[in-house]
Amino acid sequence: MLLIRHLVLPVHRTVPWGQVGAAGAVGLLLAALTRTGESAERLSLYLLRAAILVFALGLAFLLDDPARHTTATVPTRRPVRLALRVALAVPAAAAWWLVALLLVPPDVRPPVADLTLEAGAAFVLAVAGGAAVVRFSELTRPGRSLAAGLLTTSVLAMLFWPGRWALFVPVEDERWGAAHDRWAVLLAVAVILGALCTVEPLRRRVRP
Amino acid sequence: MTALTTEPAVSATRQEPGGPWKAVFALALFESRRLLTRVPVLMAFAVYIGWTVWRGGKEGDGFPALQDVDRATQGAPMLIGLAVLLSVNHAAVRSQRHGTEQLLTVLVLPLWRRTVAHALSVVAAALLTAVCVAAQFGREALRPGAVGHGSVGELLVGPLTVLLFGLFGLLVAGLVRSALVAPLLVVLLLFLFVFFSGLGYEARWLLPAVEDATPNTLPSDLLGRPAAWHALYLTGLALTLGLLAVLLAGGRRPAVFAGVAGALAMTLTGGVAQSAGDSPELLRARERATVHPEQVQSCVRRDGSTYCAFPEWGPRVADWAGVVNRVRSLAGGDAHEQDIVVRQRIEARYGLDGDSALTPLERPHQVTVGTRWGGNRVPEFSAAVAGVLIAGDEKAATSICDGRIIPLMWLAVGWESDPLDALRRVRLNDTLTGSDSVLQPTDGLYMTEAHTEVLRALLDLPRGEAGARVKDRWDELTAPKVTAARAAGLLGLPAPEGDDKCS
Repeated sequence: MLLIRHLVLPVHRTVPWGQVGAAGAVGLLLAALTRTGESAERLSLYLLRAAILVFALGLAFLLDDPARHTTATVPTRRPVRLALRVALAVPAAAAWWLVALLLVPPDVRPPVADLTLEAGAAFVLAVAGGAAVVRFSELTRPGRSLAAGLLTTSVLAMLFWPGRWALFVPVEDERWGAAHDRWAVLLAVAVILGALCTVEPLRRRVRP
Repeated sequence: MTALTTEPAVSATRQEPGGPWKAVFALALFESRRLLTRVPVLMAFAVYIGWTVWRGGKEGDGFPALQDVDRATQGAPMLIGLAVLLSVNHAAVRSQRHGTEQLLTVLVLPLWRRTVAHALSVVAAALLTAVCVAAQFGREALRPGAVGHGSVGELLVGPLTVLLFGLFGLLVAGLVRSALVAPLLVVLLLFLFVFFSGLGYEARWLLPAVEDATPNTLPSDLLGRPAAWHALYLTGLALTLGLLAVLLAGGRRPAVFAGVAGALAMTLTGGVAQSAGDSPELLRARERATVHPEQVQSCVRRDGSTYCAFPEWGPRVADWAGVVNRVRSLAGGDAHEQDIVVRQRIEARYGLDGDSALTPLERPHQVTVGTRWGGNRVPEFSAAVAGVLIAGDEKAATSICDGRIIPLMWLAVGWESDPLDALRRVRLNDTLTGSDSVLQPTDGLYMTEAHTEVLRALLDLPRGEAGARVKDRWDELTAPKVTAARAAGLLGLPAPEGDDKCS
């Protein structure tokens, strides 16, 4: 416990708060757009989803750590360090999400619990993706390519995701419930994937 | 003894004939290749080409109007534009990201010339998009059923969108040197477009692609889309962004300042001119084409019948004549020889947004045909021709509500290779049993359950047999107020059991 307390400050200093904060600000801007008029209110679900995507893009930078190669040998293992980093980000993400929800007028706010599930899945997916890149590559800053990949994937998914396993459904759609079961599965898969990827590999793959 | 060298020391730098621009082009070539092989750009092109090829056959049912086809090329390149924005932005901050900025400053190319090279790589992506757009348009234009004229201004919008987005990414890379900006920008742009497309008619022209998703096809001179001005506006805007990026990177040359001023002037000219709205001449021309189409149409005679079409639809007369002849060949009595007038009509007074129905013509033996063809439009026109042959004029035909609908629908679909499929398509709810409305270029018809039963029984007969029975009893079948049961008796078919009441 003492170790964790000593680690909090150094880890906090390596977290790219600037990127996460900038993404959060843009996300809140999108959420605030729902207060700009009649047509904006009809778009509230889509604006909130866009805000979620934007903040997830910011979280893709969470595991950027220029010092990762120098800290690979410290006694505290990587799962602990990454968990600490994520634990620092969780309150920030929760606060951000609360503010984003409060920015949407209450009468046009989509079902909060279900949308929180979507947000959670997107955020965890972004961080798990970062963990996967860190686990399988030597990159110190995976954020940039991860954000591009996340964005491309989400645009393609919105365009071409098969209707049978619909994820992005409007509120009045009858598949809303089933879609959120799928979101829960996605969240679980992302959590497991992220947890598996935090382990420091025993051997470093040497590039020829 | 020491020997002194008398040769003067030569300068280490030589002036190449092309100067630094040669290096800029070499770098542009490299950056273009790199840009076009980035994963987002490759994926965007794959999705764009796949989507376009897949959609290709469905536009206009094989009978496209080119003034609609050019507009349909505008939306999809936005995907490429966003991918190019992302990739150019990343490429422009590459040297900063890898900490090689200091190394590059010792080379011949200062930052602003490297920015020019990046801008040229965006131009390469835009050119590639232009090739795709040209191929898409060319494919539709080469279809035998294509009519109308495309507009260069509309076709340019797709490539210019890519150019605009790419140069915007480059400018942003000069302003904010962060890797996060481009993805955030893409999401913001996507949603701002959704947002602004709900704006008023003039303001929406500030967006790159302005789509009029409408089932209405108008002659190209009645569209009223300021396509050329819009292309000028987009070009000016893209040039402004690109030159500002060069300026920001340190290229403070008089030529660049002049270029920015010129590009701004272009943007303003295009932006003001495109939002002028519909001119009085256009409104008058639309009014005339809607109310007095005969003043602008030319007529041709074929096999006794007259076909009046807007000039751009001249090639389609042969298709209409084919349908009219087939329908007439199935009719009996006087109708077999009856000459008709096919009049093309549009409702252009409300522009492309308007989708109001045409009223039936009251002059004898005149039939309305719309501007679209292929697919469901063929049996609809066929039904209108059959109605006029039986009832005498379109107004009377659309108010038929008795057994005459059975020979009428037989004429309309009996000649098709798959009459049942044509019947299903021409009925409003795509049904083959029960009562339903029948679509026509003007007002629709109504078939009761009994009418449908008798017609289905008639269509089940061998084609020659059914045709002979209809022709034998033509005069009784087409007498007003004939009931479905009587028509079935005349045709030697079992009496229908369903309801025979028009609603």
